[in-house]
Amino acid sequence: MEIAESMAPPLNIAVIVKLEPDFSEGNVSYNSDGTLNRAETKSILGPHSAIATAAAFYAKVKYGAVISIATMGPPIAESALQRAQLISDAETLHLYSDRIFSGADTLATAEVLKTGIKKMEDPGTVDIVFSGHRASDGETGQTGPQTAWKLRYTFLGNVISYNIDMKKRILTAKRLITLQGTPDVIEEIEAPLPVFITVDPSYKSVFNTVSLRLASVKYQKEAEQRAQNYKNYLKIFNAQQLGVDSKFVGLPGSPTIVYKVERIPKARANRRAEVIDGSDRQQLRMAAEKIHEIVGRVVNQ
Amino acid sequence: MAASTTLPNTKTTARISENASNSTNQRESSYRHLYIVVEHQDGKPIPVTLEMLGEARRLMDNFNGRYSSSEKVVAVVLGNNIKKLCEELIYYGADAVISVENPNLQYPINLIDTKVISQVARDKICASKISPEYSEEFKKPRYMFFSADNIGRHLSATVLTELESGLASDINKLVIEDLEIKHEHKTKGQLVRYEKTLEMYRPDFSGFLWTTILCLDNRNPAIQREYHPQACSIIPGVFAPLQRDPERKGVIVDFNPELEQADKAVKVLNRQVTKSPVDFDSHKAVISFGRGIKDAPEDNIKLIVQLANELNAEIGVSLPISKKPYSVSEPVSSLYLNPDRVIGTSGRKVAPALYVAIGVSGAMQHIAGMKESGFVIAINADTDSPIKDECDIFIKGRMEDVLPSLIEELKKQKQAMEVHE
Repeated sequence: MEIAESMAPPLNIAVIVKLEPDFSEGNVSYNSDGTLNRAETKSILGPHSAIATAAAFYAKVKYGAVISIATMGPPIAESALQRAQLISDAETLHLYSDRIFSGADTLATAEVLKTGIKKMEDPGTVDIVFSGHRASDGETGQTGPQTAWKLRYTFLGNVISYNIDMKKRILTAKRLITLQGTPDVIEEIEAPLPVFITVDPSYKSVFNTVSLRLASVKYQKEAEQRAQNYKNYLKIFNAQQLGVDSKFVGLPGSPTIVYKVERIPKARANRRAEVIDGSDRQQLRMAAEKIHEIVGRVVNQ
Repeated sequence: MAASTTLPNTKTTARISENASNSTNQRESSYRHLYIVVEHQDGKPIPVTLEMLGEARRLMDNFNGRYSSSEKVVAVVLGNNIKKLCEELIYYGADAVISVENPNLQYPINLIDTKVISQVARDKICASKISPEYSEEFKKPRYMFFSADNIGRHLSATVLTELESGLASDINKLVIEDLEIKHEHKTKGQLVRYEKTLEMYRPDFSGFLWTTILCLDNRNPAIQREYHPQACSIIPGVFAPLQRDPERKGVIVDFNPELEQADKAVKVLNRQVTKSPVDFDSHKAVISFGRGIKDAPEDNIKLIVQLANELNAEIGVSLPISKKPYSVSEPVSSLYLNPDRVIGTSGRKVAPALYVAIGVSGAMQHIAGMKESGFVIAINADTDSPIKDECDIFIKGRMEDVLPSLIEELKKQKQAMEVHE
């Protein structure tokens, strides 16, 4: 049984997560021009962060890993940590929160996260860091790999499943590679720990033995209790407590700036539409005829 | 992304500090050329590579005329058996190709590729073979382009971390301009001229806003720092490649990387082609839906599935739908509110004979993914939606009303055709 492999040194895992706008119905608010109304939109643990957290939970169930969750953000980002604890049964929650962090671009954010993950290194080093595919609001997907490189960890992106040889401390992962104009490829890659993984949106944990399923239920129960008292597990660090250099974080530490924001001008019309009234049967009949003409005999196959 | 920085004041009337101008000249000489990181599979370029070269050529032709003729478009290519590819890159617009040929570079591995590309980017000897006059003072490229895909997105982030500079992702418009910037941190509130600055335009997740990102040196004495290269990842399918021209001449420079033994422990064990369960390419018709389903998401998706069955069509979605904005039953959610179905710059590009956009407003990012379709029908209640300018038939109405009638008409006609046969 693989759980017995916990005789090997324990596996330390960190997950970096983000509090993001909640794009679900009833919580998201759009301005009349189609842009996001940030003031009226609620915030939640980002969906990709949730998947990364679930990937960490897999290591807890399978290898008895110890989990720390970290985020950089304002004090309300605690709620993202609590939610992530509920998913992963994390032992420790880290919030990096300081006014001087605000306005950071991805590189300056990575500097804070790297420093925080290094803080987790006692008693043992962090063996795997997980992060989400990308944030739903920023959508750059840069912060993960930038943090990885600052940590000097081997970076593996778009991971859809993984296994660890606990004795040899080697991780084997499957990655989904989709490139323009080429067939998708699933690549199997191995790397010695430590590694940094961004989890593909299609990742799903599979607990395919009775013992894994039992362990999963046990940890889920524990997670519910822990998350109810999440503040007992929460450590909050400001810039000074983290020991970051103020020149490398926040706005001063950001190579990039937002120079301007504008509405994307309406593109020149590529086609001239024939407008028809959807309640007019005669016109719909003509549209249906056109459709049949185009897709032709395919519909009869 | 710095979401809420103070926007710089770009007034041109104020006097620009003399010191800032002088030091510009010293800084200037250390950063040269536009480097493009090539993506290919077994020596065949991924289309975005040629698209990047095309845009780089247009930008640098302009740059060469305006500023200096000795800065080049440099393609950087890693791999095994890439001789032919290097020549092709010149035919498609590169002035120079830095070729790193090594059996360990057959497949992209982030760790090794990051180290090799960073070595190349700092290499004075390569730079001297491309343009001897800058070789002494050369430190790093002035600009750098990557592709915004599964490989380039991550590679750009790790390389630019190693090179300690800034990065903008998912760019679809680029301009090189001299800008006068006044910024609380970058210039300590002074008006400073930044020459040859790359304006990197990035559509936001809504598809309605364009954010221009700049990567700027800190000229504020308290936090003085140089940030080069100015780098970005470029959305595939946006820029047009040049016509292949085998008469084009260029220089190919071989580079021998230093690979550490430890890095070779990261190994590709196996690669297998897989088929996505969502298959746009083998269907004649694609039906996509967007936020217009909102009044009755579950029922509307059922109607859309009916229409898709009727037309033997694959189903796609707009980007906001992949964020699961509506509460629907779990099977419907995991099957349809799914990132794998996104059509547009954040997903897949499709070009079916028939494209039916249902309740899709037509944000630019979505249009980029479907504009090459043969015939486009939109069903939408709002005649002001941008999709109206991108379709051939615009059926005005709520999908709840239009779809049942349309499906009925299609069925009737199909029966008639079958009887006829």
